[in-house]
Amino acid sequence: MSDLVHLEKLWKVYRIGLVEVPALRGMELRIGQGEFVAIMGPSGSGKSTLLNVLGCLDRPTSGHYRLDGQDVSTMSDGQLSDIRNRKIGFVFQSFNLIPQLSIVENIEVPLFYQGMPRRQRHPRSRELAHMVGLGDRLAHRPSELSGGQQQRVAIARALANEPVVLLADEPTGNLDTQTSHEILALFDMLHQRGRTIIMVTHEDEVAAHARRTIRLRDGLVETDVETARAAPACQPQAGAGDLE
Amino acid sequence: MRGIYKIWDVVRLGLHSLAVHKVRSFLTMLGIIFGVCSVIIMLAINEGSSYESQLVFRELGSDNIILTAVKPAADDSKASAQKGGILSYGLTGDDVDRLRGNVPNLVRCVTVRRTPNDASVGAKRESIDVFATEPDFAKVARIEMADGRFITHADMLPPSKANCVLAQPLAKRLFPCEDPLGKPLYLGSQPFTVVGILRRLPAALAGEASTSGNYAVIPLAADRDRFGMYATRVAPGNITLERLELTQIILQMEDERAVVEGAGIARSLLARYHDKPDYYVKVPVELLEQRRKQDAIWNFMFAMIASVSLVVGGIGIMNIMLASITERTREIGIRRALGGKRRDIMVQFLVESVTLTMVGGLVGIGVGVLAPWAVQTFLNKRTIVTAFTLVLPLVMSVAVGLVSGLYPAYRAAKLDPIVALRHE
Repeated sequence: MSDLVHLEKLWKVYRIGLVEVPALRGMELRIGQGEFVAIMGPSGSGKSTLLNVLGCLDRPTSGHYRLDGQDVSTMSDGQLSDIRNRKIGFVFQSFNLIPQLSIVENIEVPLFYQGMPRRQRHPRSRELAHMVGLGDRLAHRPSELSGGQQQRVAIARALANEPVVLLADEPTGNLDTQTSHEILALFDMLHQRGRTIIMVTHEDEVAAHARRTIRLRDGLVETDVETARAAPACQPQAGAGDLE
Repeated sequence: MRGIYKIWDVVRLGLHSLAVHKVRSFLTMLGIIFGVCSVIIMLAINEGSSYESQLVFRELGSDNIILTAVKPAADDSKASAQKGGILSYGLTGDDVDRLRGNVPNLVRCVTVRRTPNDASVGAKRESIDVFATEPDFAKVARIEMADGRFITHADMLPPSKANCVLAQPLAKRLFPCEDPLGKPLYLGSQPFTVVGILRRLPAALAGEASTSGNYAVIPLAADRDRFGMYATRVAPGNITLERLELTQIILQMEDERAVVEGAGIARSLLARYHDKPDYYVKVPVELLEQRRKQDAIWNFMFAMIASVSLVVGGIGIMNIMLASITERTREIGIRRALGGKRRDIMVQFLVESVTLTMVGGLVGIGVGVLAPWAVQTFLNKRTIVTAFTLVLPLVMSVAVGLVSGLYPAYRAAKLDPIVALRHE
């Protein structure tokens, strides 16, 4: 069985007017099933670009990206949408919930695009809301929740389609320390359950939750270290109970 | 199956986002509401006037040419028409002979002489119009008998029979408590016998007499024998003697094509032998044609007004959809990231704009059914609302929604998900 994520000589070059700006310069990267990886690096190092490519939101200029055994680097926009829909879960820094939808409706958006009927979507998203500890807020709007609660909803949404990889872009960037711990504990729990997680962060403390830290510089991998960590500092929070 | 679930969900989504901005949605819909209303009015008036045209057409008969005598204007008559103190005008037996001889494809020619007279039974006296005509009148005009019979050929044979057919209201007034059939009455000083009761004469032929119901029909032969062609008119200050042979000649033609040709010949014949315009040629087919042309102008005007308001409504929709897409760029980015395809985004916004116009269309129909009623009541123009009158504007508003939603939806679908996600 090959790696879950496999980047081969991956280039991403942006063209700004007449100037070509390379963001990724022939990056090589392998991430296996069940890993919890933190991606770090100064701004301009290519973190966001890498995450966009990994998330199939953007196509590489050259090179190959194999996700779950499929070469996605040359897929069409529609095919990439399908890949995002079925294989990837996104968690954003600014939560990115749809304001006019309720919590349940937000969680089921990926299922909606899979064409799953409402009857099946609803129980599934309710179950996910319970898992992240928001079983009592189903009908609320995102604006009625705190930042931490919104991020929990976002995580539930990211898990709705049973993704092969969870991509998190500074998931604790907009949260206070206490809430950040709670969210990270949730990630730890998901990792323990075998979920593959790739998380971009610029905080060492946050990166410490991962088992592997990749530092980027100028569009290339600078360091790639395994951080064999002992048991997580925080236990999974209340409500993060029994899935599976 | 998958598609059906999606569409239904997308429609729910569309309704949802309309509900979020109620005032905005309503203001946007106003344009469509007005548009739909004006389409309904247009169609209802159109239906109404074509119904009226058909009514006139049916009454006059599509294959008839109707020649009517017209009394010349007063000064005109003094100058040229008075011969030996007698005012002579109108259509004559010579005209009939000339028409019979020269108009091709003539099926029958029916003459009418209409004179004012008095009808009396005992002490009861009524001022009426007497229509003296031939039995064939029943074949060229749509008459309805209430009782008895119309005049027959036997009535026309010499010696002429003094039989008469009364209008139903007149019969009621003259014979309030008995069966008028077979009863005697006086027309002027002449005794007549009632042989039939007429429910109605076509208004187009009988004029105002048909509504008042004060008329009687007698055989033309009896009219000739008993009243002659001369009549004295007593007006304050003078007495004139009038000679009026016929008031109406109805030419029944073989078909509509023959009507047009026959009308031309009849006109030129009459023009040659009448030195003054003491007649009028009425051709139902031409009238209908005229009316159709008039209707077409009106319809075009209304269609313009209606489509202008629908177009304005459509522009409003497009405007609001573009605003909404800018406002919801982030949402579009999120949806794309979570697996929504360009097509899904496109459909979502199209459905939203169609929902907007469709709701507007339904409200417009609700308001619009009252509009034709108002037109009929206040403008006295006949309107008819049919299912088509209501369905067409709805279809049109959906089409407006599709067309005006297309560009905004395309813009939304084209957004780069990465850029859209970063949108503040």
